[in-house]
Amino acid sequence: MKIFFKKIMYYIVSIFILSIAVFYISRFAPGDPLISYYGERVEKMGPQEREWAEKKLGLDAPLSMQYIRWLEKAVHGDFGISYKYKRDVKEVVAGRIGNTLLLGGMGFLLIFALALALGVWCAWQEGKPADRIACRLGVVTGCIPEFWLALMLILIFSVQLKWLPSGGAYTVWQEGGLADRIRHLILPLTVVTISHVWYYAYMVRNRMLDELGADYVLMARAKGLKEGRVLLKHCLRNVLPSYFSMMAISVSHILGGTYVVEMVFSYPGLGTLAYESARYKDYNLLMLVCMLSGMLVMAGNMAAQAVNGRVDPRMRGERDA
Amino acid sequence: MAGLLEVQNLSISFFTLQGEAEAVRKVGFSLGAGETLALVGESGCGKSALCKGIMRLLPATARIKSGSVCVKGVDITRCRERDMHKLRGSRISMVFQDSMTAWNPSITVGAQIAEAVKAHRPGISRAETERRTIELLELVGIDRARERMGQYPHQFSGGMRQRGAIAAALAGEPEILLADEPTTALDVTIQAQILDLLQRVKKKLGMGILFVTHDLGVAARVADRVAVMYAGKIVEIGAAEEIYYAPRHPYTWGLLQAHPFFARGEETLRAIPGMPPALLHPPKGDAFAWRNPYALGIDYEEEPPMFRVSDTHFAATWLLDSRAPKVEPPVLGKVSKAAKREGKEETGGEILLDVQHLTHLFPLRRGKEIRAVDNVSFQIRKGEIFGLVGESGSGKSTVARCIMNIYRPYSGHIFYSPEGERMDLCDRAALRKNRKCLQASRQLIFQDSSSSLNPRMKVGELIAEPMKIHHFVPPRGSWREEARFQMHYVGLEAGCLEQYPGELSGGQRQRVAIARALCMEPKLLVADEPIASLDVSIQAQIVNLFKHLQKEHGFSFLFIAHDLAMVEFLCDRVGVMSQGKLVEVAATRELFQNPQHPYTKALLDAMPVPQPKANRGLV
Repeated sequence: MKIFFKKIMYYIVSIFILSIAVFYISRFAPGDPLISYYGERVEKMGPQEREWAEKKLGLDAPLSMQYIRWLEKAVHGDFGISYKYKRDVKEVVAGRIGNTLLLGGMGFLLIFALALALGVWCAWQEGKPADRIACRLGVVTGCIPEFWLALMLILIFSVQLKWLPSGGAYTVWQEGGLADRIRHLILPLTVVTISHVWYYAYMVRNRMLDELGADYVLMARAKGLKEGRVLLKHCLRNVLPSYFSMMAISVSHILGGTYVVEMVFSYPGLGTLAYESARYKDYNLLMLVCMLSGMLVMAGNMAAQAVNGRVDPRMRGERDA
Repeated sequence: MAGLLEVQNLSISFFTLQGEAEAVRKVGFSLGAGETLALVGESGCGKSALCKGIMRLLPATARIKSGSVCVKGVDITRCRERDMHKLRGSRISMVFQDSMTAWNPSITVGAQIAEAVKAHRPGISRAETERRTIELLELVGIDRARERMGQYPHQFSGGMRQRGAIAAALAGEPEILLADEPTTALDVTIQAQILDLLQRVKKKLGMGILFVTHDLGVAARVADRVAVMYAGKIVEIGAAEEIYYAPRHPYTWGLLQAHPFFARGEETLRAIPGMPPALLHPPKGDAFAWRNPYALGIDYEEEPPMFRVSDTHFAATWLLDSRAPKVEPPVLGKVSKAAKREGKEETGGEILLDVQHLTHLFPLRRGKEIRAVDNVSFQIRKGEIFGLVGESGSGKSTVARCIMNIYRPYSGHIFYSPEGERMDLCDRAALRKNRKCLQASRQLIFQDSSSSLNPRMKVGELIAEPMKIHHFVPPRGSWREEARFQMHYVGLEAGCLEQYPGELSGGQRQRVAIARALCMEPKLLVADEPIASLDVSIQAQIVNLFKHLQKEHGFSFLFIAHDLAMVEFLCDRVGVMSQGKLVEVAATRELFQNPQHPYTKALLDAMPVPQPKANRGLV
């Protein structure tokens, strides 16, 4: 219980530090936040008008003061309004987060499962043609930039063949249809998966091969176990902890990947939102999106630790030992 | 009699980038039921490759080139992999050297044994599997088996793990057990237990055991027959008594002579000169010829065939040819135990190092701590070789590290008096003041020279480095010359100067470590298990070197080891450590002839002696 509280404390402190970093970096970056609120009008504003506008948005105070004010409100659950959408940022994010979680989550699971299967299979086939072809193919797919791959897929499947929609999360006016959602997810998911899966599969493969060289594999074979059992019962078990932590840490990596994909497919998710808010200095929105992403990443890391403890007996606390 | 296991003409090669390395060359032997054949040889002689070859568990780079392995008349070299699964564990089983890595760390011991049980009895019920697992654990002498089953390998001690490994190997009721150095990683007392266990199990189940070891003492303890391997070939095979009391091959002579047991009361160990040949480019003729003082002209031309000595005894040496000159085999242990060796123990010299009530604690989790060194006091005189013996975890390395100021002791004093004045090594102020001179005058040699020497530095740089750090003026002109001189001094060729440690053999690397320590002209040399990872014949060379250098330099020498025979040979006085305590300190001869403490007695009893008759009573 004590350890649990300790971890929660770390978590909170990390989020706090993250908020400071994002806050200051975004303010120091060049650009005019007023544009996102007033649009084109900003250019015609006189100095007085400008001052008034800044005051209205609370941008006139010193930076530290601004941060403290933000923090005060944030603690009470008020993250301010979005300059661009002129609505509470929470509402703006709430409308989008589901889409991102769907794409990111599905992508993550797909990558996770495929990479594991592919890695184990390659380790099994090590050195044989199947493994070699898979390795070559993996290197090639790993080198293709996401946006290019996305564009190519759109070109082939949407423009040429007209099988799949080229963007968005659902057909306009037909919200809620499950089949429609899935049709819209296929291409973005494919891009996210193809561009990441090999990286993890290769890691699984190499870790499996490391394990296959260990003495206990020799002992397991000497006991008369079949190769499949050695691979799945013995080696995989020792690969999984590091795979889990790797995957948990890469939540952010895959999330970043989905952001790019969201952009290309103009998929209404956090990625597009984060991009817009950073580009147009929509400070409050940016802060919330960053906080959410950060929390997700940290939650991933904590989950990794918890899972590791379950799988590897040596990493459990003394209580079990 | 048709043996249980018949190996004929077996050759195994490793295919590396540099070419083909013949690890096993035309090996043939047979093993009967209820018999133990010990396979003795130094590292790299192909004994492990032979075992794995018999199990058909060779790595992908190795291949059985020719020959046959018949188990009960069936040649398994022609078996498909699918059929091998059924043979492994049920006909032939194997126990490995390192009991830590041989277990999967994340699966319970019980489950790993149960797996072996299930592998050969498909459809066995869960309750039956559990019953059998417990039965196996009890067979190998693990008590509270039901409780132990649910534990993980890291919760077992080394000896227990090896017992468990034997249990797993026995799960399929094999007829043949291959034991690949099963006791090498264990302490002597545990080793004796495991050897006894193997003997007992063999009698009970009537198996044939192929016991691989590098230690003639261990082999003498278990073997009915012994095969000596050198450079991939069996050079001599015979009944244990024949090999130990009437060996015919010069290599067997050399191995036996190099054993410190036979050097009691002598000045030097009779080491085999040189090193085993590289298997990549085996020399023409007899592989041993270059190290063989009895080599004949024909040895350099043609490999000797197996000559028959008796019905059970064969040896591959031209000396047995009827045309060969008659050679008197060396007499082993001709100097009786009572023979005098000028012991330095009587000459009470000045005290160099005075350790008083040394205690060191290591903190564990949750505020607990372990007393690694507990109230240890001893003295080392000037010019004395002091041996510190004990099993792993007895705290001997910690003592060495406290003396070298690597650890700061929890309590106690270490007085060091190199030039008459006495300073306390535990006193920080004194330490700071004399740091340079203290560092130079105490030198440390580690067990594992492959990791204690920087792999990216050349040998010459490595040797000269400490002198540079301490701004010594090189007495022989340049650092290079100095390094060359030191290398010559420890018996390294000048050609090694430009090589990296990775290119040297273990023995050569240890010589580099010695040269590096000695170039500082130390007053005190501390060597922590310096020979533990070396081969028998190389061990003898290094120990001789130590002895010689100590005589020349006159430094005091703290020699830490677990090999009692070597300590007996080398040291003037010996301290025995057990669980952090120093249980006995005495002059070597006194300690070995008249041990006082029960632990010392147990250690001496467990010491394997290369004489089968001496061991018979023990089993």
